[in-house]
Amino acid sequence: MKKSLNGFLLLTVLALALTGCGKASSTTDTNENASSGSTPTEETAGPVTVKHSGGELKLDKPAKRVVTLEWTYTEDVVALGVQPVGSADNANYKVYVTPEAALDDTVTDVGTRDEPNLEAIAALKPDLIIANSNSNIYDQLNAIAPTLEYDLYTGDGYNYDKMTETFNNIAVALGKEDQAKKVLDELDQHYTEAKDKLAAADKSEFHYVLTQAFTYQNAASLRMFTDNAVVIGTLAKVGLVNDWQPDKIEGYGFSTVGIESLPAVQDSNFIYITQPDDDVFGTAMKDNSVWKGLNFVKDKRTYQLDSTTWTFGGPISSKALVDGVVGAITQ
Amino acid sequence: MSSVQHSRPVFNWRTLSIYGGGLTALIVLFFVSLCYGEASIPLHTVVDSLMGRQDTLEHNMIWDLRMPRTVIGILAGGALAVAGSLLQTITRNPLAASDTLGINAGAYFVVVLGTIFFPGLMQQSPFLFAVLGGLLAAAAAYFMGGGRTSSPVRLALSGMIVSMVLGSFTSALHIFFSQETQALFLWGSGTLVQNDWSGVIYAWPWVIGITIVALVLSRQWDMLELDESTASSLGQKVGMARATGLIIAVLLAAVIVSVIGPIGFVGLVAPHLVRLSGIRSNRLLLPGVFLWGAALLVGADVLAKMVHNSSLELPTGAVMAIIGAPWLIWLVLTRMKAANGSGMSTSMSTGARSRRWAFGPIAIIFTVLTLALVLLSTMFGGMRIPMADLLPSLFQSDGLYSAIVQLRIPRTLVAAGAGAALAISGVLIQMAVRNPLADASIVGVSSGAGLGAMMVIILWPGLPVFLLPIAAIVGAGLAAAVVFSLSWKKGLNPSAVVLLGIAMSAIAGAGIQVLIVRGAVYGSSGFIWLTGSTYARTWDQVKIIGVFLLILIPLAWWLARRFELLVFDDNSASGLGLSVRRTRLLAMTVGVLLAAGAVACVGTVGFIGLIAPHMVRLLTGNKLRRSMFLSALVGAVMLVLADTIGRTIMAPTEIPSGLLIAIIGTPYFLYLMYRSNWRKSA
Repeated sequence: MKKSLNGFLLLTVLALALTGCGKASSTTDTNENASSGSTPTEETAGPVTVKHSGGELKLDKPAKRVVTLEWTYTEDVVALGVQPVGSADNANYKVYVTPEAALDDTVTDVGTRDEPNLEAIAALKPDLIIANSNSNIYDQLNAIAPTLEYDLYTGDGYNYDKMTETFNNIAVALGKEDQAKKVLDELDQHYTEAKDKLAAADKSEFHYVLTQAFTYQNAASLRMFTDNAVVIGTLAKVGLVNDWQPDKIEGYGFSTVGIESLPAVQDSNFIYITQPDDDVFGTAMKDNSVWKGLNFVKDKRTYQLDSTTWTFGGPISSKALVDGVVGAITQ
Repeated sequence: MSSVQHSRPVFNWRTLSIYGGGLTALIVLFFVSLCYGEASIPLHTVVDSLMGRQDTLEHNMIWDLRMPRTVIGILAGGALAVAGSLLQTITRNPLAASDTLGINAGAYFVVVLGTIFFPGLMQQSPFLFAVLGGLLAAAAAYFMGGGRTSSPVRLALSGMIVSMVLGSFTSALHIFFSQETQALFLWGSGTLVQNDWSGVIYAWPWVIGITIVALVLSRQWDMLELDESTASSLGQKVGMARATGLIIAVLLAAVIVSVIGPIGFVGLVAPHLVRLSGIRSNRLLLPGVFLWGAALLVGADVLAKMVHNSSLELPTGAVMAIIGAPWLIWLVLTRMKAANGSGMSTSMSTGARSRRWAFGPIAIIFTVLTLALVLLSTMFGGMRIPMADLLPSLFQSDGLYSAIVQLRIPRTLVAAGAGAALAISGVLIQMAVRNPLADASIVGVSSGAGLGAMMVIILWPGLPVFLLPIAAIVGAGLAAAVVFSLSWKKGLNPSAVVLLGIAMSAIAGAGIQVLIVRGAVYGSSGFIWLTGSTYARTWDQVKIIGVFLLILIPLAWWLARRFELLVFDDNSASGLGLSVRRTRLLAMTVGVLLAAGAVACVGTVGFIGLIAPHMVRLLTGNKLRRSMFLSALVGAVMLVLADTIGRTIMAPTEIPSGLLIAIIGTPYFLYLMYRSNWRKSA
């Protein structure tokens, strides 16, 4: 493994050297400066060093033309007040991620998240690419532009700390550290306000389980989120208590179970996310005797969140989640 | 009188053991099945709920979640087993079943098609869609295999090809209409999970009704068991009986597929299990087959639930394949008669009757075509590069199109190299097993490589990327080694190799299913790998395929004279002093290694190894070196063309090359089969 790491670092250095050679002969695009005029916060100038899965990435100056290849990073970039020049799977981003982090029409769709179109990315002439670590195209991306890659689901998984850490790293790359601090401070303030609302509604320390449910192989499949999920970390910030505590924690932050596992938590409250065209609890499960026999169903303690509640998102998704949950359980 | 007395006790004992054993197994499995699930429910609670249901969660889980699943397993297992038994009878083929004849794949494909384009109609009558698909697939496999004159192996191969074709089309629909199909059985390996009784309520009248019809017609099936001349003397009834049997089998398979998706192997295993007892009369055979089919499938489902970890449950179909494929291996090794090659050599020489063209001009034309296509490939993609700008972009590192050209060249070269490797592999393997329907996938190479790669992608996603091709090559090599070693005892008989390869592919395929389900979050990228893709290929892959070609092509060229002798039947070849077994092993090994190298670079791309040799054979006959050269060019052209089209027409989304090869190759292949049969009957 050490050998591989050395080889990888060597490749990174070579890629950076090649990139540097390429940069030397290019001219600065004066139009790029115009887009930063709207930001009230002062930006970082000069060289920046960013941490990522591959070690550290050095940029001559903060990136302006960003391509994001996973929705998490897309949202992070938008939260910093920047629109990427390209991002992956834009049509579905609109379906699954909160409209509070919407993309402009100016953002080019560069193909699927699994196989982004390398030519489309190259044609955009980005100065930064942000991708997942499981990608096997890092070298090719890095040949196009300096590339950050993050491994969100290893170790403790994509939990709250990793969400803020990734967000802050991206802010460094874009020279937007002040903006990032502002976003996170406002988020903390939002949590405080949410706590007050919950206290006023006598819902402090509200117990719940949170699931994203869909039809899979003709039956209900539920992703029950565990404590290492960013969504659970977010709700913990407002004092809610997650009752889904399985023996085994998965890196993705959820257990995949069927209806049979719900009796064990039927005295908790059931918060769920489904898609409009696959509302499994409103259709397939509606007349199911097991479902109807659960205490939280009989007591009407089930709460549906908006289908655009994105469970692997950044700070904007965390805010949307809190708004959705507080709204659902206090009305 | 004494002889009558003697036979009755034996007969009764056997019948009793089949029925008693099957019933006992089914009852035990019924209770075990009701006990297993995500929630822990003890046996006494199960018994209590059956004696008198109360409105408790445990009783509701047993009655409305677990029992529908168990009952649908009984119906599905029984129906598929009866269908398999009938298909084996009407085709006189011990390998016939709804999955080996492509019926399951056909029914499933049309169900997916209906879900996308006719969702309202699909909601009302999924059964009709499944029946239509199943009938078309069965007819295609039967006639492609040669109809009534088909040998067991050829029919199994035809069914396998039909399943591959329809599987590719289903995959294409899934990629292009991923939103509409996400609610379907994503990996199509079948599951018994039920939310309620609706599946059972829908299926049981059809299953019981059609099975009773089959039982009433027992004498028809008995008649078909007679030897050909006796059956023929009964005239038109034979054809009618066959058609009736086929329709009944398709109906049974279709109703099951429309409820739980395609599940293989139960239709193959159960009939043999019962026939082993010596039962011959269909009046006694069919109920026994139903019983044991039900027991087998419920047993597989219990195993699937047992293996359940805290996250995910295995698809029942995958477990059934793991149980059933070794059975196929056992069948081949213990019960297969030694077949002489005369029948197959006839098939092999079908293409040679066409007028031959001069090799020189053809070689020049194909070479020019290949080079021109490589050039075009570099020009086309999401963005078109004018010819005038192409040359400067090749040598400037910072030109207008330089970055894009640098992305296209390696993938074009990988596509050309892998296509050539697959084509030559097809030539060698078809020659070795003397069967025009053979390519590397039939010795388990594609599935073995796929399994090796999926292990890296899903089980150890953190491993370095360069291990992926190595894992694929190792997986391919292991699969082929198992097939070769098992068939060595049969003298590497072509039929044995084919059948063992089918079993190996099924086992590896089941492993792939398990891994895909387990790694659901990354399933999509693994899925694309399995379809075959030239996406994001780099100079590393160019080197890999280059090494394989540089080593193996000269070796194959040098051995070509010896390989050519394999075209003759075994006796003639031995008479020429050739060690048939060793030569066949050598040819297949070189073919397998070429395919493994290609799979390591582009994933599992089917059809090139199947089609390219045929196109060339029409032109040049059976000269091996010429076939190798021209096939390599044809293979390269096919894959480069698929790559170019795939990255152009839906940009920025790319269509995997393997799907395009299947879509382009299928019509040609069907034409080839049709032409082959027509010529034979002329």
